[in-house]
Order: sequence, then structure tokens, then C-alpha cells
Amino acid sequence: MKSIYLKSKLRWRTLKTSNRTIKHYYRSVLGNLSKPLLQIPLMAIDLEMTGLDPKFDQILSIGLVPIHNGMLQLGKAQHKLVSIDGSVGDSAVIHGIVDRQLATAISAKEAMVWFLSQTQGHVLVAHHAPLDMCFLKAEILRSLGEKMSFVAIDTMSLERSRLLRQHEVLKEGSLRLDACRRRYGLPVYAAHNATVDALACGELLLAQMVAIAGKDDLNLFDLLR
Amino acid sequence: MDASELQPIVQFLQQSVPFESLDEATLATCCRSLTVGYYSKASSFVPLDPSHPQLYIVRSGAFEVRDISGELLDRLGEGDYFGFPSLLSGEEASNRVAILEDGLVYHLPPDIFNLLRTKSRQFDRFFNKAFAKRLRHQGRFKARELTTTSRITTLMSHSPLMIDMKSSVADAAKLMRKSRVSSLLVIDNKKLVGILTDKDLRNRVLAENLDGKLPVHQAMTTTPITIESNSLVFEAMLLMSEHNIHHLPVVDNGQTQGVITSTDILRGQSSQPLLLIGEIERQKDLPSLILVSKQIPLLLQNLISADARAEEIGRVLTSVTDALTRRLIVLNQQMLGEAPMAFCWLAFGSQGRQDQAACSDQDNGLLLAHEPDEAAQGYFEALSKAVCAGLNECGYVYCPGDIMAQNPKWRMSLNRWCAVFDKWVNTPDPKALMHCSIFFDMRSVFGPQSLFDGLQDEVLKNTKGNDIFLAGLTGNSLTSTPPLGFFRQFVLERDGTEVKGIDLKHKGNALINDIARVYALSAGIKEVNTAKRIRALMEQNIINRKDALNLADAHEFIAHMRLSNQGYQYTHAKPVTNYLMPKDLSSLVRHQLRDAFKVVHDGQVGLKLKMMRSY
Repeated sequence: MKSIYLKSKLRWRTLKTSNRTIKHYYRSVLGNLSKPLLQIPLMAIDLEMTGLDPKFDQILSIGLVPIHNGMLQLGKAQHKLVSIDGSVGDSAVIHGIVDRQLATAISAKEAMVWFLSQTQGHVLVAHHAPLDMCFLKAEILRSLGEKMSFVAIDTMSLERSRLLRQHEVLKEGSLRLDACRRRYGLPVYAAHNATVDALACGELLLAQMVAIAGKDDLNLFDLLR
Repeated sequence: MDASELQPIVQFLQQSVPFESLDEATLATCCRSLTVGYYSKASSFVPLDPSHPQLYIVRSGAFEVRDISGELLDRLGEGDYFGFPSLLSGEEASNRVAILEDGLVYHLPPDIFNLLRTKSRQFDRFFNKAFAKRLRHQGRFKARELTTTSRITTLMSHSPLMIDMKSSVADAAKLMRKSRVSSLLVIDNKKLVGILTDKDLRNRVLAENLDGKLPVHQAMTTTPITIESNSLVFEAMLLMSEHNIHHLPVVDNGQTQGVITSTDILRGQSSQPLLLIGEIERQKDLPSLILVSKQIPLLLQNLISADARAEEIGRVLTSVTDALTRRLIVLNQQMLGEAPMAFCWLAFGSQGRQDQAACSDQDNGLLLAHEPDEAAQGYFEALSKAVCAGLNECGYVYCPGDIMAQNPKWRMSLNRWCAVFDKWVNTPDPKALMHCSIFFDMRSVFGPQSLFDGLQDEVLKNTKGNDIFLAGLTGNSLTSTPPLGFFRQFVLERDGTEVKGIDLKHKGNALINDIARVYALSAGIKEVNTAKRIRALMEQNIINRKDALNLADAHEFIAHMRLSNQGYQYTHAKPVTNYLMPKDLSSLVRHQLRDAFKVVHDGQVGLKLKMMRSY
């Protein structure tokens, strides 16, 4: 059911858009959706933003780590800094990015074109995906003038439903990336940047997939909700 | 992007031996080449793809390495590695890695692994050592059985006799008589349709009052039970006993390959040590004993090809020599009559140490309870000459140094033996010290143990703590050193014009034997087998545990190399020697051999420090 709805939505979007890059993007994703889960290229992503409101805040950096055949590919991991209007201000403390580093940054529009070309054909993976998707959609609308739709797996919502199914009480902070990782015995990564967090999120997904599947075969739509 | 973005992974590797030995740039390259996987208990084993070997670096979780037979080799956690043996040897992984706890694993591709090996010597050494350790582990725990591992192709007859199904039973019987076999395969149009045995001729022809014109197909056993050529000997035995039959046609995909009989299997068994020793003890005269001894080289080959431990091979072959010696003594005593006094047949050198291999010569002597009178002299001369000659004919050639019981010099009473050893110990001139390597490794093969103990106790009492003697013995053993420089510059020992390679016996095992002997004599340890001596020395804290285990492992490794080299020489019809050609070695084995020689060198240095301080 979910799969039919999602696919027809993507087909509809493919028809409607006049932007050739985006049309191509949709087609490449659609072509991969019916494959067995292990053969679908996944892309663990993480964004760093100046704040939490897509209307006012901006993307600072993007980290990507592809997952092919159930393996994270560190050699293909990528990282881009995005230039912003104004200074990083207070949030620089959080992300450790200083204005000086932003000199190597690319413009938001360049970043979106780069993002679309890098993630072509991939199903995205993010921790708390809706937030990252909102930012990406807003930026694409702003710089490319297109209303975008993504296929993304949210490791946070996977974790929430898994915990609820086990009748666990969700405590404050129990769904944060580090807390989720600890539950699977995954190592604690001290440093944080978009690439490390994308990697951390990708590793979490691999562990979740194993936990959800047990001995059964998993398909993509078990992971999308 | 640079690897600084992957800081947690770089940090992890920086804290892991041997990655910490790599420079920053190399580490970054290495980091960028990794893939990350997650393995779950639900799938039990890590799927190792033989066509795609890689180094597995455990980041979290717990794993277990087990060999094919399920024997535990290693248990792994964070910061441990697996998969490197097939990267180093190029052979397909035979071990399995079980998942005990779900875990994250980094994969390092082979090209980067090899790059790191060339960049850092420490990195290379680390994995070679780990590999050697795991190999030793494997050797230590593997119990091997010949019957259960050898295949029937080695025993079956490959050109079985066949007869057409329309021939008469009389023709069949004549063919069987002519070729002295007890069964024929019956064919129709080149296809196997039955088997005709002695029993069929008796039960279905003679007992039924039928004559010889009867066609074979009316007497044969139709659609006989068959076996495939790659089956184990063990499986053939099982089939035969299950169906109470003695003949199994060997058929692969409808093609008749041969036939295997219960006699074939019995013959195969006779090259096994226990049966061989049993057979030796049943023989009633010298000619039949010589015939049986012809199987000894085959036994050695079987043991080598079954990959038995060198120490086991030495002990098995020595038990055969002991049995042969005892049988020769008994047979000769049957002719010469009862001995005039108690005596012991002494084995020296390699037979004493129980590490005989191919082409051993005799080293023996006779220990008499009292001073013999003329008649007794004559008796023991006749006995020892006959036994030494018998051994010579059985393949144990006369000792070139004439250290044999048939030499009156080495046929003495207890008192005179004690005096001779006394002289060697208290006035250790060079010649006496030369004798030590042979005479101090002595064992009684025949005769009352109490008589032998009398001699050994006296000898050890004299050597124990005897600084001057021990220093002399040490000095003598240090005149030969392991060929360490060999690996750098390929300095070869030359014999005439021919390049011979590394002498594994005299530059390897003999030196370890020397070291163990000096320590054992200094401590009054009764064992003479080198491995047992080292074990005893370790238990009495005379050598520390680590050095003792290293020495024992080096001894085993060099001896194993020597035996497998001899196995290779034997099967390729080359003269069997102790020399190993370095060009025949892979770089890995060369590495391990150098490590083993390094242990010998360290052992010599340690011995010198302990025994020659007063100089």
C-alpha cells in the first residue's frame, strides 16, 4: 500500500516538473525502489544548521556517506560547507565551524545542485529525517524554484516504534542519536561534524535493520513510515 | 575531502597496534579505503567471501575464530583482527568466524593492506606474527587420524579385471586363477552389471551342481554396491561391514574406475605405526623382518602427508626402530640362548632423543651388569654383531663413527661406563665434548630399567652444577650458530661446487638439542627428548615460560620444515637431505623461519650468559 502511494507520488512529481535535473533525479530513485533492500543504494546524510527553523535558519554543512550492499563506504564519504548570509553567530559554538572556514564554502544553490547529483538514485537515511528534509526542500525551493520530494528513512522514528513495540517508556533524550547507538553497543564518537554524524546514523541503521529483521528478509517499505 | 572529517575512525586506528606505527598520511589513506559493516548473531557466521579477501577490524561486538573441525583458535573483541591469514598466504580462508555479539566491523581491502605492509615493517611483522601464532595454535590442537582422512584412490586397484557377462564361469575361474584375484567385474557393453567372486562360484555353481559352461551373468551378484573414488577409506570400511562384503567396485558417474577389496584396506593399514609394530613383533626371522622394515619409508611419508607434528613423527618412527631392535635381540637370543647376565641395549643420539627421521644411522651401545668373563664376552659380541648387522639390513646403516654395540669399546660393564662418563665430565677435552652430543642423550631400549637408572643417576650426579664441564659443553655448542645472516645475503654453505641451501638439522634442530641438553644436564633432568627436556626445564623454572615455549615452537617449526622438505624430496625422487633451498620458500615462510632461527640465536645467547659467566 505504502509502496504504491509513494511510487505514484514520485511518478506524478516526475511528470509535473520541468527541471531536467530533478526529473532525472526522480527517475533514478524510482528505478531503484523495487530492488531487494540490500541492492538499493542508500545515502546516510546529516545537515548542520544555524538553527531549527527552516524559514529563517540556513544550512551550514552537509555530510554524506553512501551505503552499498549493506556496507558504509568511507572512501565515498563527502563533506561540503555552505556559505550563509551573515555570520554563524552563536551556533558556531555548537558546530565548531568558524567564519574563517566558511571561506572554502560553496553557495547554497551550488550546494543543492551538488547534493542532488551526489544522491541521485539513492534512498536517503537521516536521524530525525523530517527536519533535514524540511531544510533541503526549503533551500531547493528558494534557490532552484522547485517543490521537491525525497524518499528518506528516519532512524529516529524506526527507533521510536521499536521501543514502543517493546512497551518501553520513552524518556527524555532516549531517541537522540548517541542514546540510540548506545542501545546497539555502537561506539561513542566524540567528535561531531556532518560526516561523522552521517556515518553514525548509517551505522545505526545497519544495526536497526538487523534488529528489526531477525531472521526474516526485510524490504525497503518496512523501513519507511 | 580529507580524512580529518572522519576523526573518530582515525583516532580508533591510531590507538590500535599496529596501525599506530603508520604516519598520518598513510593512516588517512587507510581510513578512506575502509568500508563498515554490521554483523548480527542472527546470521551466526561472518560471510567470508573467498574471492574477495580483506582485513576485518573489529570495532565493537565479539567474535570467535574456529577451524574446519570446529576447534576454537581465537576469541576476538574491539581492536582485534581476522581475515589476515588468507591475505598473507593467498590461500582460501578455511577458518570460520562465529558472531558471539552483534558488532561493527571495518573492512580493509587487500591492496591497501599490502601497501601498509610495505610502508611499515612493524605493521608487516605484527600480522606475520599473529599468523604464525594462529598456525601454531592450529597445530597444537589438531588431532589427526590417518584412516579417517586418507582416500580410497591411494589403495584401490586402478585396472580391475573385467569379463563379459556372456562368458562361461569356467573362463572366469581360469582368469581369476591366472591373475590370482578373488573377484571379477562383470560388464555388458562396457557397462558394469555385476561382480563375480570366489564365493559366488562356490555357492551358485559348485554347490548347485552346475557345470562350467554356465554363463557368468547367472552366477554373478547383480547390481553390486559401489563406491565413488573420492570416498574416504573409512567410508569403504563402513560399507563393507554394513553389507558383509569384501569387494567394492569404484564407480564415478557410471564410469568404472577400479575395485577396492578388504585386503587392499588391510595392506594400507599396515603402514600405520601400531600395526607395523605389531607386525614387527610377529616376525620369526631376519629376512621377513627386513621385508617389514621396507614399509618404514612409507610410514614416514604417510605421517608427513597427514601433516602430523614433527615431534610426533620423531617419536613414532623411533618406536618402530625400538621395536625392530628389540625383536632382533629376541630373535638372536633364541639362537644364542639365555644371556649370562643382565644387560641393557642403549640407544644414543637421535634414537635416544626420539627424533629419528629419514636416513638415520645407528648409535648404540651395550651396558652389562658386571665385568664379563671370556665366555660372556663372546656371547655379547655375537649378539651385538648380529643385531647391528640386522639393523643395517633393515635400513639403519652402520654408524660412520663406529658408535655401536658391536664395537668392544662401547660394550662395557656398569662400572666401566661410569668411569668413562666420569672422565668426560671431569676432564672435558674437545673430543670428549664432541661425544657429549651423542652419549648424553641415552635411553635404554631393552633390559632392566634399574640397571640403566644406575648409570644415568651416576652421570647426572656428576654433571649437575658442574660449572667447568657445563661451560665447556656450552662453548662447544656455540661453535655452530644459526644462519641468521643467510636471509640477508643468502650465504650458502658449499659442499664442493654444489649449492646446498640451509642445513635445517645442524644449523637448527641440533643447536636447540644442544641448548636443551646443557640445561638438562646442569639441572640433573632425566628426560632426553628435547621437547620433554624443555617442558621439564620450564616446570622447574630453569628457563622462563616464554623462552621455553618459543624454543619448543622453534624446534617444532624447523623440524616440521625439515620433514616436509624431505617429503617433497622423496615424492620428487630427489636425494633426501637436511638442506632446504631458500628459493622454494614463500616470503612468509622465510619470515617465520628467520624468526625461528632468531629464537635459536637468543637461546644460545641466554645459555652463554648463564653457563659461561665465570670466563
